[in-house]
Amino acid sequence: MPKKNIVFMLNEYNGHGGAQRVASILADEFIQDGHSVAILSINEQPNEPSYFSSDIPVHVVHQNGYRATLPKAISTNLKALRFKTVNAELKRRRQLVKRRKEVEAFFDAYGNEEVFVIAVQVWGMQWIEPLMYRPNIKIIGQSHESYLASKDSHRYKRILKYYRQVAKFLLLTQKDAAHFESQGFSNAAVMYNPTPFRKQIEPQELYSHKTIVSTGRLVDGKAFDVLIEAFAHASKELPDWKLHIYGDGPEKKSLQTLIKILGMEDRISLKGQTKDIQGALSASSFFVLSSKAEGLPMSLIEAQSCGLPCISTDCAPGIREIVSDYNNGYVTPVDDVPLLSRQIKRLAQDQETFLKFSEHSFESSARFDKEYIKSQWYDLFEELGGQKNEQQHHEA
Amino acid sequence: MNNNTMKHDLPSPKLSVVVIAFNNELYVEEALESLHEQTFDDMEVVVVNDKSTDRTGELIDRFIADKPKFKAVHLEVNSGGCSTPRNTGIAHTTGQYVMFLDGDDWYTIDACEKMVAAIERTDSDFVGGQVIRTNNYEIWYHRQIYNTERTNINIREFSMMLFDSLSVNKIYKRSFLDKNKLRFPEGIHYEDVVFTGKAYFLADSFSIIPEPVYYWRVVENADVKSITNRRHEFDNFKNRIVAHRLFDQFLRDNGDILYQANKNNKFLRHDLKLYTNDYLEFDEEYKSKFHALIYEYMHEVMDAYAFIRLPEKERIMYYLLYIGDKEGFQDYISYKNGLPTSVPRIYAEGGSYYFKTFMEGNLHEKFLRVEDLEFTISIHDLELTNDTFSFNGQSSMESIENSEVYYFWTLKNRQTKALVYSKAGADGRTVFSLRDVTPGNYYLFLHVSHQGTLHRILVKKPVIEHLPNIRVKDSSLSKQFFVNNKNSFAIKVLPLRKKDQARWLLHRGKIADPNNPGILEKTFSGYAKKFFKKLSLRPNWVLFESHMGKQYSDSPKYIYEEMLKTHPNYKFIWSFENPDAVELPGKAIKVKRKSLKHFYYLIRSKFWVDNQGIAHLVRKKKDQVYVQTWHGTPLKRMGYDQKKLPSAEELAKLKVQTNAWNYFVSPNPYSTEIFRRAFRYVGEIIESGYPRNDILITQPQDVVKKVRNHFRIPEGKKVTLFAPTFRDWDPNSFQKTLRDIQTLSKSVNENSVVLLRLHYLLSSRISNQDLPPNIINASTYQDISELYLISDNLVTDYSSVMFDYALLKRPIILYTYDLEEYLSRRGTYFDLVKKAPGPVCGDIEEVVFYLNNSQSLNEYNEALNRFSSEFGSIEDGQASRKVISRVFD
Repeated sequence: MPKKNIVFMLNEYNGHGGAQRVASILADEFIQDGHSVAILSINEQPNEPSYFSSDIPVHVVHQNGYRATLPKAISTNLKALRFKTVNAELKRRRQLVKRRKEVEAFFDAYGNEEVFVIAVQVWGMQWIEPLMYRPNIKIIGQSHESYLASKDSHRYKRILKYYRQVAKFLLLTQKDAAHFESQGFSNAAVMYNPTPFRKQIEPQELYSHKTIVSTGRLVDGKAFDVLIEAFAHASKELPDWKLHIYGDGPEKKSLQTLIKILGMEDRISLKGQTKDIQGALSASSFFVLSSKAEGLPMSLIEAQSCGLPCISTDCAPGIREIVSDYNNGYVTPVDDVPLLSRQIKRLAQDQETFLKFSEHSFESSARFDKEYIKSQWYDLFEELGGQKNEQQHHEA
Repeated sequence: MNNNTMKHDLPSPKLSVVVIAFNNELYVEEALESLHEQTFDDMEVVVVNDKSTDRTGELIDRFIADKPKFKAVHLEVNSGGCSTPRNTGIAHTTGQYVMFLDGDDWYTIDACEKMVAAIERTDSDFVGGQVIRTNNYEIWYHRQIYNTERTNINIREFSMMLFDSLSVNKIYKRSFLDKNKLRFPEGIHYEDVVFTGKAYFLADSFSIIPEPVYYWRVVENADVKSITNRRHEFDNFKNRIVAHRLFDQFLRDNGDILYQANKNNKFLRHDLKLYTNDYLEFDEEYKSKFHALIYEYMHEVMDAYAFIRLPEKERIMYYLLYIGDKEGFQDYISYKNGLPTSVPRIYAEGGSYYFKTFMEGNLHEKFLRVEDLEFTISIHDLELTNDTFSFNGQSSMESIENSEVYYFWTLKNRQTKALVYSKAGADGRTVFSLRDVTPGNYYLFLHVSHQGTLHRILVKKPVIEHLPNIRVKDSSLSKQFFVNNKNSFAIKVLPLRKKDQARWLLHRGKIADPNNPGILEKTFSGYAKKFFKKLSLRPNWVLFESHMGKQYSDSPKYIYEEMLKTHPNYKFIWSFENPDAVELPGKAIKVKRKSLKHFYYLIRSKFWVDNQGIAHLVRKKKDQVYVQTWHGTPLKRMGYDQKKLPSAEELAKLKVQTNAWNYFVSPNPYSTEIFRRAFRYVGEIIESGYPRNDILITQPQDVVKKVRNHFRIPEGKKVTLFAPTFRDWDPNSFQKTLRDIQTLSKSVNENSVVLLRLHYLLSSRISNQDLPPNIINASTYQDISELYLISDNLVTDYSSVMFDYALLKRPIILYTYDLEEYLSRRGTYFDLVKKAPGPVCGDIEEVVFYLNNSQSLNEYNEALNRFSSEFGSIEDGQASRKVISRVFD
């Protein structure tokens, strides 16, 4: 089997977001198939463990803790006597030139061998942009958030600037890909995130747990307060049901207070971060996502991979690609406590519907199966000029 | 069905909500729950089940079982629409106010509370609230209608409201419905069009609250579309027209015919658009019926002027429907969708484009003007080397009637504005030479030139079939394919040497805008200018300029050269755009135009001598003397004489100039009169003849020799000067000129050469072209007067060149292929054909005839003499001296 060189480029390889999780899952898969995988990380967090296996080589671009600022115009700032800004900008430019050379040297090590660079986040493109013109290097750009969420951000501008000429630009949902196609990106395509596990739990068993589950960082954007209120609202009519929220974050205290005010200490628990998401999901009944904005939430995909029906806010164009309203779950408007509460009630009270949705959920998660997604990556490598992966060939 | 007993069990509630349901088993509970949980209590709900065939009826009954406020009515026969269920619902309720909800939608939690509060607060006949569609969570007509609270308005003052023809997002006073016997029209679809339309015109006032009340569930890719969503069945369109006819009839009966136009506008912009958007998907039978019905309907209620202010596409589509041009309509749809049309449909007339219809009538062009033209471009097999950029390109102007379309490509450096023209390479490839490029991003443009109009299209990435990432470099520059954030394609050229990089970084902004110097320079010159203003005038300093610093020529040149002899103690300053490129006799100081130095001399020189306008550069001081020599005997109308007066802004600029003039130099009495009137100039006019023409009278042989040597024209060769003017309305004229040159080159006899003199704006373009050996490009030669001296005859068109050249009494051929157009656009002061100093030729072949038959030119000797004496009577070779003695002595 011909070995492939694959480089993941991330902002911080040892961050703990969905992007790093997905990249680490793929990296492990690629290594298992005998490919050479490396990580190019722009920055790193001091003394933090990462999702990636320790045997993957990591090259950190800024090892001294320097973090590049946003580009600024020199002349206008000079005119306004903002010398600090000007100084920072000059430093940024010097650093960029210097580090680009290092990055080029990093890729020189591959000689003329083909290298697939997966730019997990667009930020790092400024360091690898010159490599686009090397015929042996294929850059695959990714964006892990929906265009709606990123529309007014620097990230969106950077996508417009850097992803026009990359070999492929991968989006998480059809709607996002369609949006960028309409913006003239002829290289836009969809690649779903793979689920790290996929094992169906009997719907009957799930239902018997009478537990609603949600996971995510305890931050404002996840709107766990909406979920807590919605559950509290429905709780009287769902006497045996509990709500478990997994995750940690700055909002923990205020959420705890809210639970107390609502008198829900016995029914709602903040479980903290868990290493065993699969276990947590398998011990629950259905999943609720109450976010204000998302890309293609891993949490929904993981929940479906255990057979959990999902209720989700309509917080990204891709939500309806995962959750099919009244088929395997419910979709509600963002921040609508009464409606979310009614749908929680409906799903909890109607066992027949629950069982049906649970079956549908697991079926629907086949699209996110690790093996299937991996084969799509190999197809992509082949399309971009790589050679056919033989193992895949046998399996197919 | 026994209804009457139910009514009297409870006292009348404040609000009645009528819910209608037909086969909504999936969603009806959600709809009912949203009512059950309302924050408002004083209400009753009647659910009307329109004989559903699924579990809807059962679910309704189960839901309302323990809820006394809810009632169910099960119709025994399916009504097939919304009207009967809603009317039935109204009949079964008693509340003071009425609202409606459809079985697959839902209310926000406090919809009823807010709507009741609003109608009680405003006492309007009805109140509307916001609708949210679940496909995008946007508010229905938010920007145009629902962005703000509007209290007690009337439809006649706010016709935009007609665009919201929904009935379900509103609360109605029952008394308003009953008094007007307002109910939903049964037996038709699009009942809302009629019901809501009538409600608007019957209400004394209604209000709007900017609060979300109603969720409209939009299910994308639904298997079964709701009744009103099946646009591909012709009955659907027919039903819509039926509803609109009922509304129209009501307007007439209600005495509101005045507002038909507002209603038409909504019909065109909303209803009809839905169908024209889907037109390509209709089958033939549908299309025939559609055209017949829309033709009939339009002629009932509107005329063509209903479309005149609509956006182009709608205006053209609806007009073609209105005049019944089915083939034209289909071609237009094809045209806008990148499909071929049955016949060429686009034609040009007087600089504008139109869509062709073959129907009778003479008003079509008013409605069928096209600005949004369709071009197809495709580029493939791109190659980039250090020396060239090449590709295979196809381009076409779609559906164009006249096949005389020329296509050419350019690269334009966005920073320096430099242009590179392409050449045709082998196998039809387009090839650009990159040998002389400088740093910057060179964007690729397609130019399409057609009948005097030049279309310029920036090439975007999607038209490029497979764009490879190529970068090449030599010792000094790297060149690479580049796509910017707006998806435009360019060749990015970057300097490689450190020194060049630094210079590029510093200067690229400055190069892009020569009027915008760097920040340091700006700050410094700000101080300097303030300081200069305090300095005194120098009485013997004279500042010269010709054609905005582009040349050393014209009357300022001859005045200067004369002053070198007569006023040796004076200090002379010349301003040029590019001072290094000009060589001057004498000791004049050369300054760069608009530089700080130029500014210094502008402020300190007592005298300015100029032939265009420098008065806007600085404010002229009272003691300064501005001699305006102007640059030609007027033929075309100028200033206040123009057919269409220039804008107030331009006239204001003209006034700044004329106010600054102290002396105006005129070549003849004819011009004096015109200048006074056209410029409204009251100052002194020196009627001396043109200083620049002195040389044509004295005809110094050393100059003749110098110029002939400059162009290496051998003794005995006859010289024809070809000097066409710049047609600023027709960028295509350059192409025409190129073709004419080829013709001239082939046709003039071997003992002749042609000196080509183009407008300075075109001179850089011609230098990129390979010219035949018997054509000499003299476009960049500083002084045209010197060219007259060595030429044996002149070919020109509308230029003031003819007045000067006539002084030589050598043959003049007027080549005016677009005379009519020129006259209609510009207007002239006299009849050029009548007074012409030589033959007036309509095509280049005629010109060639006269050039090759010099004896036939003799017939025009008399005309030439007459012309010369009329316009050159006072030219005696002493004009410079006359001006100098008036101004300086």
